[in-house]
Amino acid sequence: MIDAFTNLLRLVGSFFPPDLSAAYLRALLVPIAQTIGMAAAGMLIAFVLGVPLAVAIATRAPGHRLIVAVLSALRAIPDLTLAILAVVVVGLGPAAGIVALALFYSAMVGRVYGDLFAAADAAPLEALRATGASRIAIAVYGLIPLTLPDLLTFGTYAFECAMRASIIVGAVGGGGIGTELAGTLSTLDFHRTLTLLIVLVALVAAVDAFGMLARRDPRLVLLLLPLGLISLWLYRPQIFAFAHAVHTFATMFPPHLRASQIASLPLLIAQTLAIAVGGTVIGALLAFPASLVAARRIVPFAVAVAVRRVFDVARAIPELVFGLILIVTVGIGPLAGALALGLHSAGVLGKLYAESLENVPAAPIDALAATGARRLPIVAFGFLPLALGPLVVHTLFRLEWNVRAATVVGLIGAGGIGQALYQAQQLFFYQQMLAYVLVTWGLVALSDWFGERLRLRLGWNFVAA
Amino acid sequence: MFSSRPISRRCVLASGAALVALSALPRRARAATALRVGMIPDAGATQISIDQKKPLRDYLAAKLGRDVDLVIPTNYNATVEALGNGSLDFAYLGGLTYVKAHAQYGVVPLVQRTSDREFHSLFITQTAAPINALKDIRGKKFAFGDINSTSGHLMPFYAMTQAGIDPDKDLSYRYTGNHPATAKAVESGAVDAGAIDESVYRAMLDGGQLDKSKMRIFFTTPPFLDYVWVARKDSAPADRTAFAGAFLSLHAPGDAAVLEILRGTSFVRANDGEYDLLRTIATKLKLL
Repeated sequence: MIDAFTNLLRLVGSFFPPDLSAAYLRALLVPIAQTIGMAAAGMLIAFVLGVPLAVAIATRAPGHRLIVAVLSALRAIPDLTLAILAVVVVGLGPAAGIVALALFYSAMVGRVYGDLFAAADAAPLEALRATGASRIAIAVYGLIPLTLPDLLTFGTYAFECAMRASIIVGAVGGGGIGTELAGTLSTLDFHRTLTLLIVLVALVAAVDAFGMLARRDPRLVLLLLPLGLISLWLYRPQIFAFAHAVHTFATMFPPHLRASQIASLPLLIAQTLAIAVGGTVIGALLAFPASLVAARRIVPFAVAVAVRRVFDVARAIPELVFGLILIVTVGIGPLAGALALGLHSAGVLGKLYAESLENVPAAPIDALAATGARRLPIVAFGFLPLALGPLVVHTLFRLEWNVRAATVVGLIGAGGIGQALYQAQQLFFYQQMLAYVLVTWGLVALSDWFGERLRLRLGWNFVAA
Repeated sequence: MFSSRPISRRCVLASGAALVALSALPRRARAATALRVGMIPDAGATQISIDQKKPLRDYLAAKLGRDVDLVIPTNYNATVEALGNGSLDFAYLGGLTYVKAHAQYGVVPLVQRTSDREFHSLFITQTAAPINALKDIRGKKFAFGDINSTSGHLMPFYAMTQAGIDPDKDLSYRYTGNHPATAKAVESGAVDAGAIDESVYRAMLDGGQLDKSKMRIFFTTPPFLDYVWVARKDSAPADRTAFAGAFLSLHAPGDAAVLEILRGTSFVRANDGEYDLLRTIATKLKLL
């Protein structure tokens, strides 16, 4: 036990101090620009494609059911897999990352904005429709202004996700900080790994701060337009291998698995689910006690803010990056995968738990306090039972997300269906790869469906952003 | 916030027009002149490591009379796909990756290091571990490198089957993804033993990245053919000749800096026919 602890300390110590030399920081300018550029250009395309799709869904244009189905299917493919496939079409480099992000986030923007539009106040929209306005006019003068605050909130959240995702797609050759991070880990250059983690946290924090400003003054969002356009131009594909892509994608059909591979599918799926469940449990166990000291109504303001900064850091580092680090340092396999999911989930859940604890109604807490109860009983008999519903919903949402994330950390050696997918791809067994993509897709879609049903059943159907 | 809408619409229109104008510009001015050369990631793919390879880039650019872009993709699959779709002109591939890329996209072998003709894969364990021969790894935890690696997977796997061990049945194994991770997994005791590229292993010991006192080699595979520099199928013959010539004329001590980057002493021509043994083994192990 003591041995394990000193080992852990030595391991963490081997990342310090970060390499902050001028030469390295200068060398990082290109990867940083690539990372920001991939996110900005990817999101620009995602909004250009996603918003019209969302309008089509919300106004029930012909074929909107098909659009919803296609978007759900796209969202179920891990972004890492999309990035690898994008290399086939546009070659190596940031363009592959942009294509992957654009596809993934078009689907996300289309789906979520579609839902937001559908929930918009119906009366003004009916009035518009009565004037004979076209779908575009309804969108421009009705849907978008009516839901603008929500659009902005989700838009900046999506941009933050895209910034993290651009690290992920970088790790397969898209370029940017992700490629750099994978490189430092494979050469065991941990001081530079830490430098990159600091850069990553700072980037996500900057996006977060920008989001807060943009909610106050939505015009700021327009600044992203030139950024996206410039990035798109700078990182445009060097090639566009259309014929090659058609040929390569054709070799993926029909999807096929050997009998022995089909026989091992249940084990692979069980492994992926174990990583997801394990990661969620680890995340919840870490987040729960921490969230109690991050809720401003329970502890002093300064303490809560300090703990939340820790959550922010854990949230800023994607599962895949935790995974890359753990696989090199702690070891390979499902345990490393579950730990990776757990560390990131702890950051996400900690923040959500703390907010839920802060949002409980004041009256019962005041009543408890009036009895002279101390802080601990107030938490145990006041805050906790009152916040239980939201806590459970947040955890279930995380579990759903973690099924998808478990396939992604599988790609880097955690095991399960993701690893099988990655190996089939690395060996150019593309028919097998497609079969595993379909299984992954089915698994993620099923868990989304199941999660939705469960929340409806429990009567806790609200969106946890 | 509604007052901002006219501005936003004008902005959108202007940007749209700008986008159309930009896309009409000649697009491949630079890409057409620079040769893109890919190196596999097992020696580290970082901005710094590309900067450190500047002598190699400068040497090639001078010899070829063209700009050269060095690219280090992070995985084998991406490297081969890039040769297939033309986003790389030349690349450095491991033996198994070469065999696949040749079958898939007809890449042309050019040159290799003298040492690549007699390459070895090492089986390593911890100094104190009770493992002294291949037969001792039965029932143990074992680490291979990347599944697509010749020295980290194909040849050591084959060596085991030759010794009467069925890795799928007789031991539990994992893929670490790269050679340094394999070494670290053995050093930390996360696995009992592992298989690794000899040049990476020695470089790690020399560089102090591995604790010499903790590590021991317990088996060395027979020699096999490994890494090779290739050209994509439809590259210009003149470029190929110049590229091969640049490597064949490398000699110490004048080119010491470049040779050090390539971790070699001299280069010879490579032939596809010599990879038949690798091909047979890969097919037998269902990796091809």
